[in-house]
Amino acid sequence: MANIQEYSRNRTDSKIAKIVVDRDLCIGAASCIAVAGATFELDGENKAIVIKPDGMNAADDDTLMLAAQSCPTKAILLYDKEGKQLFP
Amino acid sequence: MESYDYLIIGGGAAGTAAAETIRQTDQSGSVAIVSDEIHPLYSRVMLSKPNFFLGKIPFDTVFMKGEQWYAENRVAFLGGKSATALDGAKKVVTLSDGTELQYGKLLLALGVSARQWTVAGAGRYGVHYLRTLDQAKGIIDHIKTAKKAIIIGGGFIGFEMADMLRLAGLEVTMILRERYFWEPLLDEPSGRMVEAALVKGGVAIIREMEVAEVLGGDAVSGVRLKDGRELSCDMIMCGIGVYSPIDWLEHSGIQHAHGIIADEYLATSIPDVWTAGDVAEYRDILLDEMLESGNWVNAREQGRVAALNMMGQRTKFSFVSFYTTVGMGITITFVDDVRPGPDRIVIPRGSPELGSYVRMLIVGKELVGATLINRTNEMSSISKLIDHNVDVSEKHKELGDPNFDLKSLITN
Repeated sequence: MANIQEYSRNRTDSKIAKIVVDRDLCIGAASCIAVAGATFELDGENKAIVIKPDGMNAADDDTLMLAAQSCPTKAILLYDKEGKQLFP
Repeated sequence: MESYDYLIIGGGAAGTAAAETIRQTDQSGSVAIVSDEIHPLYSRVMLSKPNFFLGKIPFDTVFMKGEQWYAENRVAFLGGKSATALDGAKKVVTLSDGTELQYGKLLLALGVSARQWTVAGAGRYGVHYLRTLDQAKGIIDHIKTAKKAIIIGGGFIGFEMADMLRLAGLEVTMILRERYFWEPLLDEPSGRMVEAALVKGGVAIIREMEVAEVLGGDAVSGVRLKDGRELSCDMIMCGIGVYSPIDWLEHSGIQHAHGIIADEYLATSIPDVWTAGDVAEYRDILLDEMLESGNWVNAREQGRVAALNMMGQRTKFSFVSFYTTVGMGITITFVDDVRPGPDRIVIPRGSPELGSYVRMLIVGKELVGATLINRTNEMSSISKLIDHNVDVSEKHKELGDPNFDLKSLITN
């Protein structure tokens, strides 16, 4: 069973409807925080989480895509409204 | 002679990010990546992670780009070759197979190489380094049969390999030349916290000691220390630092020190030649210091900025770098510049007794870096304080209070 954390997003200017962090893959390299510091932070277990309460809506699609692409373990997955995987 | 508008030497995080960035803007310019490895871009970060070594993550997860990415983006991948000469006047790079390539713009994203251990017997089978995917494969293979490992050097590699080797069931001894783990980048209390975690995890530590000779036949059977003691082992992991592979640039006249010298635009001293990633020794505009940063995020970001400048933009590289690692129940984080120096004021926050301990390094009125043990959740705040050049000269007391919320000091 994959250990994943899902965050729904509701920005009208956005194609990305859901951010998923795979906690098994995440190694806390923090590249997502470097790219999208308003969205991601590390928790006490050194895993990426989305900042409460509204981090999931803080970044535009380009920034989120860059953050996901920068992850050295591909632990961030992005989905559109239809549930189609946009990355990776 | 073959010619490329954009020639990139180095197929790692920086070089590939540069190619990616060029293609986002320039669809027609020709792009080539020369790599001394044959693999498409893979995650060097993953190479030292236990989950990867122990097969908990599928091996292929390590690849960040498939071969089709290079084809689809019309990026020529010249793998298994290294550069051997640069003529900046003629704008020609010579490769190890004798090929000469003409370039319009050149990026040197060479990375750094693992420093080789020069002690007698270090060439025996079973002495490992960890920098490339092929080296990682060799270690993955060896831990299946090895029983006793010795780790040379205390740093990220030593720490992460200790964790991995213990999880793989090996007996592990770490040999440090210094008085404590990661001297002098960590202070003694921080280093002792890491040591306590290592010891609790079953790692024996020998301090202020060096190996005189690696014993064995073809394969390693042990080491003799400088004090005469002999320890048996069938595997040795060397994590003794890195060097910049820039010998081949000697005749080019490029300005270099430890790495290749670059300005804040990542331009080198030769026209139309840029540098990015671990090998770049650049002027950091946030710290106003010359800095080399060896990590994935930094390399990617430098590759992106160098590419923008190669395409004629004027973008300064400005970035607070950090790195974090977890293992043996302890988390170590470095933020930006953690080099010790007489000009640094160090403010401790928390304490080893409390189980979480931060050192904030200040030069003048501003933070320049920090080391964090078990306090990763403050990494973002500290990075922002550095990024925003916040004047903390009147706030030393607050910085030192572990209950004070650092976020409240961040200005926009």
